[in-house]
Amino acid sequence: MVKYIIRRVYLLLLTMIIVSIVVFLITEASPGNVARKILGPFVTTEQATSFLAQNGLDKPVYLRYFLWLFGSDWYAEQKSSLNLKRIVTSGGFQEWWAVGKQGNLQHWDLQEGNLVTVTRLSDKEVERRMDNSQWLTRQEGERYFWGVDNANHVVLWIKDGQKQSWTFNQGSWAKQNDAPVEYIPLQKGFIRGDPGLSLRTGRPVARTVTIMLRNSMILASIAFVVAMPIAILLGILAGIKEGSRQDRTLSIIGLAFAVIPEFVTGVFLILIFSIWLEWLPGAVVFGDLNPWNRLDMLVLPVLTLALVEIGYVLRITRASMVEVMRSAYIRTAVLNGIPYWKVIFGYAVRNAIIAPITIVMLHFNWLLGGIVVVEYVFGYPGLGKYLLDAALMRDINAIVAGSMIMVVVAVTTQLIADIVYPLLNPRIRYK
Amino acid sequence: MKKKDSYELPNEVASMYQRGKLSRREFVRLSSILGLCGGVAATTGGLFFPQPALAAMPRRGGEIKISLPVLRVTHPSQATWTPVSCITAPVAEYLTRVHGDGSVSGILLESWKPSTDLKTWTLNVRRGVTFNNGDAFTADDVIFTIKQWLDPAIQSSMINYLGPYLSSTDIEKTGSHQLKLHLKKARFALPVHLAEFAANILNHRTFEGDFIKAPHGTGPFTIETYRPGEVCIYKARPDYWAKGVDGKPLPYLDSIKFIDMGYDVTPKIAALKDGEINLIGLGGQEIMQAFKNDSRFISRSIETADTGVLRMRTDLKPWSDERVRLAFKNCQHREKILALAVENMGLLGHDAHIFPKHPAYCKKPIPPYDPEKSRALLNQAGYPNGLEVTLNYHADTYDHVRYAKVLKEDCLAGGFKVTLNPTPEYWDKWTEYDLGITQWIHNPIATTYLNVGYGVDQQGKPLPWNETRWVDSEFQQLLEQASGILDADERRKVMCKLEDVMAQRGGIGISYWTNKWWVIPENVHDIRIRADYLFELEKAWLS
Repeated sequence: MVKYIIRRVYLLLLTMIIVSIVVFLITEASPGNVARKILGPFVTTEQATSFLAQNGLDKPVYLRYFLWLFGSDWYAEQKSSLNLKRIVTSGGFQEWWAVGKQGNLQHWDLQEGNLVTVTRLSDKEVERRMDNSQWLTRQEGERYFWGVDNANHVVLWIKDGQKQSWTFNQGSWAKQNDAPVEYIPLQKGFIRGDPGLSLRTGRPVARTVTIMLRNSMILASIAFVVAMPIAILLGILAGIKEGSRQDRTLSIIGLAFAVIPEFVTGVFLILIFSIWLEWLPGAVVFGDLNPWNRLDMLVLPVLTLALVEIGYVLRITRASMVEVMRSAYIRTAVLNGIPYWKVIFGYAVRNAIIAPITIVMLHFNWLLGGIVVVEYVFGYPGLGKYLLDAALMRDINAIVAGSMIMVVVAVTTQLIADIVYPLLNPRIRYK
Repeated sequence: MKKKDSYELPNEVASMYQRGKLSRREFVRLSSILGLCGGVAATTGGLFFPQPALAAMPRRGGEIKISLPVLRVTHPSQATWTPVSCITAPVAEYLTRVHGDGSVSGILLESWKPSTDLKTWTLNVRRGVTFNNGDAFTADDVIFTIKQWLDPAIQSSMINYLGPYLSSTDIEKTGSHQLKLHLKKARFALPVHLAEFAANILNHRTFEGDFIKAPHGTGPFTIETYRPGEVCIYKARPDYWAKGVDGKPLPYLDSIKFIDMGYDVTPKIAALKDGEINLIGLGGQEIMQAFKNDSRFISRSIETADTGVLRMRTDLKPWSDERVRLAFKNCQHREKILALAVENMGLLGHDAHIFPKHPAYCKKPIPPYDPEKSRALLNQAGYPNGLEVTLNYHADTYDHVRYAKVLKEDCLAGGFKVTLNPTPEYWDKWTEYDLGITQWIHNPIATTYLNVGYGVDQQGKPLPWNETRWVDSEFQQLLEQASGILDADERRKVMCKLEDVMAQRGGIGISYWTNKWWVIPENVHDIRIRADYLFELEKAWLS
C-alpha cells in the first residue's frame, strides 16, 4: 500500500510537469497579444512592448518555463554578478534588493541619465545617492550597468548607447540613449514555492489562488456533503425494486436533473427564489467578506450544483443496485430467511456502492473544476472562474498555478478512492 | 457672472461678449477654459447628469458598493483606460474637471490663465491642500507629475495628449504654488487635457513608481484594502480640503467598496436588484433594459460622443480609392442603424468624427442611404461587378453586432458583398484590419480625437492610433488651425471645412453616436459619473 502511494505521488509530480509544459505551450500558441488584453485596447505598440519586456515575456518560451520552474534570481545573479535577496516589508510587499559589500540592501534608479543608488535604511527610509562612477564600459565603448530596480527586476541600463531603445515620443521613434534595455523579473520559481506574479494584477499569484481555492472548496464541499448522501440513498431506494413506481419516479427526476445543464438550473433558481419570491440573493457578492459570513448567498449556488450531482449519482447508484439485487447471493440470502432490511444494508448496499464511490470521488474533482459555470452564473469568486478569467487574459502564471492545483486535487481524490475500495471489497488488493 | 471677473479676460473675448457676439453659455464655457471664473463654473457643476435640484441636506455616513473590475494599478500615469484610473481616482485627484456642457473648473488648480497667443499658461496651484500622509501639496508635485507624463520611459498615455505641444523642459516654477507652461504650439485644450483619466496628481516626495506601495494623494479617500481581482476598500479621510454643504469636510460617505464581479453582467444585475451593490460600473445597454420597469431605480442617460466608427484602411486596396470609401459610406442606412443598433438612443452622424454636441460642431445634413450612388461610384472606381469585403468587429459589443448585420443587408444593393467576421480578439489587432468597426469613447473636445486618432507626426507618418492611416494635407492643416483657436464660433468656421473634407475623403463612416446610461438606486444621491466612466464620489451620499 505504501509503495502504491509513493508511486502515485511520483506520478503526480510527473503529471504536474507535463501539464505545466502543455499549459505554457498552449498559452504560447494561442492568438492575441497579452499586453493588449491586460492593459486595454488603447495601449500603444510601445507601451505593449515595454510591458512584455518588463514581465520577461520577450524571452523565448523554453527560457521562461525554465525560469518559472527554477526561479530567475540565480539566473539574474549570474548575468549581473549581484547578490540578490528577497524581503517582505511591513506593508506585506515582496521586494528584491541587491546585497551590497557592507551587507546593506540597495537598488538603483536612472534619473535623467544619472545612476542613483538607493540604500535601504529601514522600512520607511532610504538613502539616495547619485553615483555615476558605477557605469561599466563594454568593448564597443558603450557604458552599461546591471542593477535592481524598484519593481523587482534585474535591469540592464545603457548610457549613451548606440542602440535605439523602444521608447517612443510625440509620434516618432525618439533616440533614447539612456534607457533600460533588458529586464529580468525576479521570482523564486515554482519548485521553491513561488509561482510568480499574476500579469493581470501584478501581485503574487499564490495569495489569490489560495483564497480562490478556499472559496471553491467551501462551495464544492457543501454541495458534496448535501448531495451525495441524498443521491446514494435515493439511488438505493430506486434500485431495490427495478420497475416499481418509486423506481420510475426517482429515475425520471434523476434523469431530468442530470440532463439540464447548470446554467439553466441556476438561472431558473435565480428567477424563482431571487426575482420572484425574493427569498434569497441571486448573486454572490463577498467583497472583503468570507463565504461563511454570507451563508445566504451560498444557498442557490449549492442547490444548483447539488441538483445536477444528485441526478447523476442517483442514476449510477440505482444501476449498480439493480445489478446487485439480481445476483445469486442476494436471492440466496432472501431464501435463507434473512430479514429483508439486513439483506439490503448488509449485503446489497456494500457491493452496490463500489461503482458510485469511483464516480463520487471523480466528481469531487469535477465539482472543483466544473463549477466554473455555476461560479460564472452567480458571480462566485472561485477557482474555476479565476482560471477562466486568467485563460481569457492569457495570464500565464495564474493559469499554470490554477492548473497545478487542479492536478493535485484530481490525483489526490483518485488516491483516496483507491484507498477506500479495499475497505469496501476485500477482494481488491494493491501490489 | 460677476462683472469684476471680466477684467481678466483677454480683450477680444470680453469685447465679443459685450458686443453680444458670444452667447452667455458659450461665454461661460470659454472663460472657464481660460481659467477666469472657476467659481462660477463650479457652481454650475453636477452637469455630468441632469440632476434635480438638491432638496434634502446630504446625510453623512454609510458605504457605497460598486461593482467594478479591480485591476492592476502601479503607475497612475500609465493607465491606458479608465477602469484602471477608477481605482486611483478616489485617492489621487486631478488638476481640473470638465463638465457636461464643456466648461472646465479647477480641482487642484485654483485658477489658470493663458497668454493671449495661448502659448504660455500660468497655473495657480490650490493652497492649503495636504496629501493623506501629511505632506503639503505644492507646485513641485504638479511639476513632478507633469514630468512623469512627459518622460518617454514612463510610457504615459498623457504623452499622446500633451506630447505634441509640451516637453519637460517647458515647465517653469514661478512660486511655491505657481508654475508656467510654455507650449510649443497654441493650444486651447490644455485645461481639458489636464482632466484626462491618467492625469492623477502624485506626491513627489513619496511616489516611486507603485502607487499601491505609497498611496498618497490629495483626494477625499484613502485606500484601506487593495486586493486586485477581488475588492478595493476606501475610507474617508477626515482632513480633506473641500467642505460639504454642512460646513464640514467632504466626503459624506464613510467608505467606498469596489467589488470585482468578473465580466458576466447577469450576477451584477441580480446583485443590484438585491441591494448588495449600489451601482454597476462600466455598464451597458443591457443593464438599462433590465431595470426599465423597476421603480426603485432611476435610469439616467446622457448623450455622449461614444461611437462605433466604421473604419477603412486608406493605405490598403480597395479602400485606398477615395471613390470606394465614399461608395461604402453611401451604403449606411443611418436611421435604420441608429434604430436597430442602439434602439434610437443616440444621435445620427455624418462620417466626420465631430460630435454634434461639441462646442465647435458645424451642422451638416445627414447623408441619405443611396445604393444607386454607391454602385455608380464603384463603377467609376473600376468595380462594375461590385466588391467582396470582410467586415471585422468585436463579437461581444452589442451594438456593433447589430450595426454590422444592418450594413451587410443594405450594402448588397450598393454593390458590396459583405462577409461578417465577428471576433472576440478584435482589440488585439484593431489598427490592423482593412475594414472594421472600432468603438471610440467620449472626449469633451473634438480636436483631441482628431489629433490622436487621425493625426500625423512631424514626418507626416500616421500616429499609432490613426487606424485608417489617412494622411491628407488639407485636413492636417485645418486641424492644426482649429487646435489653436479658442473661440468656438471662430473654430466652427474651420470645422465646417474640416467636416466636409473628412466626410468626403476620410477613411471613416460614422452613422450614430450612442447615449450612455446608468441605473442608480433611489437612495444614492449626487454620484457623478464622467462620460468616460470615471466616478467622482466626494459629494455622493446615501439616504
